[in-house]
Amino acid sequence: MGESAAIAGLGMTELGKVYGRSARRLAADAVRRAVADAGLGLADLDGLVVSHGMSGSPGVELAAALGLRDLRVLTQMNAFGATAGAMVAYAAMSVISGAATTVACVFADAPLRPKQSSGAAYERSAREWYGYGGMTAALGFRSVNALYALAARRHMLRYGTTSEQFGAIAVSTRRWATMNPLAQMRDPITLEDHQSSRWVAEPLHLLDCCLVSNGAIAVVITSADRARDLARPPVHIWGWGQGHPGHRRERGSEFGLTTGAAISGPIAMKMAGVTVSDIDLCQLYDCYTYTVLVSLEDYGFCAKGEGGAFVESGALSPGGSLPTNTGGGQLSGYYMWGMTPLSEAVIQARGDGGERQVAKRDVILVSGNGGILDHHSTLILSPHRKEA
Amino acid sequence: MGAMETTKTTETVEIGVLHRDGRTDPFFDGAAEDRLVIRRCEPCGRWYAPDQSGCPDCGADRLSWAPASGEATLVTWTVLHGRPAEDGTAPPPTILGLVELAEGPWLNARLDGVDAGALREGLPLRASFVHPAQGEPYLLFRPA
Ligand SMILES: [Zn+2]
Repeated sequence: MGESAAIAGLGMTELGKVYGRSARRLAADAVRRAVADAGLGLADLDGLVVSHGMSGSPGVELAAALGLRDLRVLTQMNAFGATAGAMVAYAAMSVISGAATTVACVFADAPLRPKQSSGAAYERSAREWYGYGGMTAALGFRSVNALYALAARRHMLRYGTTSEQFGAIAVSTRRWATMNPLAQMRDPITLEDHQSSRWVAEPLHLLDCCLVSNGAIAVVITSADRARDLARPPVHIWGWGQGHPGHRRERGSEFGLTTGAAISGPIAMKMAGVTVSDIDLCQLYDCYTYTVLVSLEDYGFCAKGEGGAFVESGALSPGGSLPTNTGGGQLSGYYMWGMTPLSEAVIQARGDGGERQVAKRDVILVSGNGGILDHHSTLILSPHRKEA
Repeated sequence: MGAMETTKTTETVEIGVLHRDGRTDPFFDGAAEDRLVIRRCEPCGRWYAPDQSGCPDCGADRLSWAPASGEATLVTWTVLHGRPAEDGTAPPPTILGLVELAEGPWLNARLDGVDAGALREGLPLRASFVHPAQGEPYLLFRPA
């Protein structure tokens, strides 16, 4: 077969309540760590792809901050929570096409300030509002929690999905987090804990919602041939896809019922030459428990509307048939947007999962979700080079 | 089309001050007269929310403004809870929904005068306007 691409380096800064470093500084640190992890130096990079979170930084100026010279690929990308998958795909295409040989992809954010609650970090307050959109924002439509709650409720109304089924995801994800030293929330929780946690936006409890974290994560992508000779075991990129359904807000809309994973999943799996039954473990974007449930349906791990029963079966838990969010995801691990599922996929593919390492890890699905279920990306990764 | 119920409720929502933005002014012209004015595509007849620009269906790049009936049904909803303060007290919850207008489009809706426990898919609702002392009027949806 022809050239293919692999992830050769992973760099993660301290994650969570990390203060005193700007998002740009965190991004630079993550890139340095990813390059060192691969056994390379910064001068080996000829490509850099940057994405940022709520902080609005860094952008392409990160290249200058790192002192990178003569880059062949440099860009900033943004599809919100779907960006990490899109960056990896772009880097892989750059390597395969010969546009660049060694591309770092980085995400950084620093929304948290000392002595500030997580919710406040993402809240905007204003006393003056403008136009129709300003009116709806003033009336409450500035809460991402509320918008996901509207989506989750719709799934419940249509398919009979229950809060306890969302809770099953919170509990299984926390079980995984207890075994991840990098996770921010490592105390076990029960379904009762989930049910008694305070309402954020009904039907979402506090334990249905992700964390907020400061930090940065980077990966280095190069050719599979070159990755073989570098410091760490390559994580091969078998397939990628995106899906942006553009649900209209009007009669007959599928909002809350289906996501772009129904588009991105089949594209990525076809490219990888696998089917849903070949997937050994999943790293799914979990800004909310509900997002995991609806994504599982859209990838075809269960039929549409049966996500609730599927997650209640224990499939996602340690020892389950489809280990999912094995580092604690964004619900219990760390909130680095699409880099959370990607980083845990790299850790598992390399066999670096320690106590939480999943034995069978030949085919790993990584899913990103951005906006209010507006943008999806999928990657299929493997510790093995894809056979011709 | 008749004027809708004028609401001079004392239970106004504390929203700060709402201004026009130059792009959605006809919505506020209608609101001042207690009429729900939204966007409509003249070539194909489709209706859209007031912040829509252009018709994604037929490709028309200009939408006109037209009065809607104000009748709607509830699609989905959330009870949004404020963050508790240090002393454990929390602001009163807000009920937000997506409503489907009789003409087809969905609007982001603040619900008022409803009991959260009585909400259901398909609940009939009606557009209603509040006229604060300062700033532009704003839209609420109340049980029909
Ligand atoms: Zn049209």
